[in-house]
Amino acid sequence: MNKRRPNPKQVPDPTEPMWRSTLRVAMPLNLSYIPIGLACGILLHAAGFNTFLTGLVSLLVFSGGGQFLIATMLTINSPLLSIVLMLFFLELRYALLSSSLSPYLKGQSNRFLFIFAVSLNDENYAINYLKFATDKKWTVREALAVEHYSLLFWATSNVIGSLIGSALKIDLSVVHFALTSLFLYMIVMQLKSHLTVLICLVSAVLAAFFMIVTKSTLGLVIATIVASLIGFGLEELLQKKMPNSHWLRRMHSPGSKKSVVEHSDAN
Amino acid sequence: MNAVNNWNSTQHFWLIILGFVVAFVPRFVPLMLFTKRAIPEWFNEWMKFVPVSLFTALVVKDIFIDSSSYGLVLTNYPLMIAAVIVIYIAYRTRSMAVSVVVGLAGVFLLSMFL
Repeated sequence: MNKRRPNPKQVPDPTEPMWRSTLRVAMPLNLSYIPIGLACGILLHAAGFNTFLTGLVSLLVFSGGGQFLIATMLTINSPLLSIVLMLFFLELRYALLSSSLSPYLKGQSNRFLFIFAVSLNDENYAINYLKFATDKKWTVREALAVEHYSLLFWATSNVIGSLIGSALKIDLSVVHFALTSLFLYMIVMQLKSHLTVLICLVSAVLAAFFMIVTKSTLGLVIATIVASLIGFGLEELLQKKMPNSHWLRRMHSPGSKKSVVEHSDAN
Repeated sequence: MNAVNNWNSTQHFWLIILGFVVAFVPRFVPLMLFTKRAIPEWFNEWMKFVPVSLFTALVVKDIFIDSSSYGLVLTNYPLMIAAVIVIYIAYRTRSMAVSVVVGLAGVFLLSMFL
């Protein structure tokens, strides 16, 4: 990938080079990629991917959910088109992430945007969005460095996982729960109002219903589209008719983003 | 889950290339468009509900749907209990790594005893 030399002119603190200050920001994420990347590498190996292809998919797709999905769908012998379609819907959420980052990337060349988009991911998005929103000195080069660190750790953990998978016999149904846990974690991070909790329940019921009816993972796609449209419609309706409804109220939780920011500003 | 896949490396390679295209387009197109013009409000409002709907649907598939018959399974107690534990841990710690590691340990121990 396009790993760039840090530009010394953009270092905000002259005593610390950029590669170290960005590594410090990216490190909690890098460490959390290790167990998930290992699990993902093991599953990809079981799905028939060799170690080289496991590294390649980690660099090119760079999505925990996407790569687990590829592994799972390969082991149940899904057709190529079905895998790619499911992957597309899974990755569609990045449209939201990249549009919300776009105000901070105004004026960059298309070449830079290309490089930035290739290594964008849920988790490095969370870091960079927070940094852009709270730290006026945070530059696009630093944001890209954080992306590249997380990509490096992700791909390395996947490759090591693939090697572990070829050396040891592992209970795959347990390893697969790493993905379920990852999704559960991401759901919890997304619960911002009572309405989103309701939409979760709606989506759960619809997903079970449509998967049983269609006898395929296409049911997931239908459930996602219907549930998100219901959420969109309900929110519009509530904002017009009853703007003080408790369904729209923001939910608070321990250690929410705000306190994370305060904590990282303090040190 | 058994490794029963019989694709060869060339097929895997093309899957990766197609996977790259569908992963890249949603990341790049909005970035390219919206750094030049404003984001339509309705698009943002709708997209807000896509991740949470999709993740829930995927969790339901993992826990309640049999992967070969697509029938409803309501007896997967180790996974159900582990899922509740993960939700609680994610809510308290907000840490991805802790949530995943606790989930893995939980399902491993629970499936030994249940």
